[in-house]
Amino acid sequence: MELGKRIAAQLEGATFDRVAAAGLANAQANRARIGRSILELREAVGDGDAAVVVAAGPSLHRRRSLERLLASGFDGLVVAVDGALGACLRAGVIPQIVVSVDPHPGRIVRWFGDPTMTAAPTDDYFRRQEMDPVQATDEVTANRALVALVDRHGPRLRVAAATSASPTVVERCLGAGMALFWWNPMYDDYDKPESISRRLHRMNGLPCLNGGGNVGTAAWVITHALLGRRRVALLGMDFGYAPGTPYAKTQYYPELAEMLGDRVSEAFIHLTNPAHGEMWFTDPAYYWFREVFLAMTREAACETFNCTEGGVLFGPGIRSLPLEEFVADLRGVAKLSR
Amino acid sequence: MKQFLKGNYALKVVIEEPAKSEADSTDEFEKKALSRLGGSICFVSKKAFVWTGEGKDGAGKADRRPA
Repeated sequence: MELGKRIAAQLEGATFDRVAAAGLANAQANRARIGRSILELREAVGDGDAAVVVAAGPSLHRRRSLERLLASGFDGLVVAVDGALGACLRAGVIPQIVVSVDPHPGRIVRWFGDPTMTAAPTDDYFRRQEMDPVQATDEVTANRALVALVDRHGPRLRVAAATSASPTVVERCLGAGMALFWWNPMYDDYDKPESISRRLHRMNGLPCLNGGGNVGTAAWVITHALLGRRRVALLGMDFGYAPGTPYAKTQYYPELAEMLGDRVSEAFIHLTNPAHGEMWFTDPAYYWFREVFLAMTREAACETFNCTEGGVLFGPGIRSLPLEEFVADLRGVAKLSR
Repeated sequence: MKQFLKGNYALKVVIEEPAKSEADSTDEFEKKALSRLGGSICFVSKKAFVWTGEGKDGAGKADRRPA
């Protein structure tokens, strides 16, 4: 087995090691601010059949997916991950729901605009990331513009907030007037008596969601399993890097380089996506997300349409098609059901 | 530290810290390295998408027990 795939196979346990302690500490710190459960979100957004989940992969910009979403006249539910919020608002797409999960203490607030930031941080995460190119150049100016944009639209936004989210993110969202609907990440097997998930649920009464490793998959889970959408389209759900992206510009490069040294390039896995014919590459973490997503698709009570037009997410249970075709099909279904 | 922690007795045995085997150190290094590669939320295989508990605590209802 390739080195990258061998590493990917170990990431279920490694993710627990990475996020459990911080997530539980944040759940404790957020206790006083926890109000509405995510189970109340369905009533807040209403019923419906179709939804678009907007993730923050590079295809979002390469394929101008948000501009096309706006032009398509899609009038169903739009659920965005926190990393795609800035791109959505800049494109004039106002998601009904924004999902935030990651317990990182300093980075995630930047997706909402950090009002306290005065200089570019030494951490090069935002200069290196591929999710929001606007944030990768002049960080201070981009952040300032995002603060203003989020402040303007905040009162119209609902956040599906994991209890693991950093208190800094929670404070920012509440400060911008967003309505928060809370849930617990599922950390382990709730059927075991000593389960952390069970203890957490006992502490705050909130449902536990099986998040699939990343915020994009968590957003998809919320959309079909909690909000009952039966036709779910994906945008920007790449789980990979576009052809030509330097390895050093990838999410986990510093960690992989430290771990593997000269062998770092062996960690990357190249896949040709039959839907668009391009060869993309992925790292162990994104490859694991992809494998988990494909496994979860088999169990999901919804149809999943990948309208990303990029990336490495293809396989049984996922239909790839352009966004416009997805929207046209919906209109056809609506006509037939009249 | 020995200059501060002095007993008024002498032990007849030499106490040694258990040495970590090379394999343990490698495992620990690998575990730590891997944990930096993980995702932002767990995946629990073979479990439901959503678990709402035993449904006796009012989760999600207006009378939900406050956190």
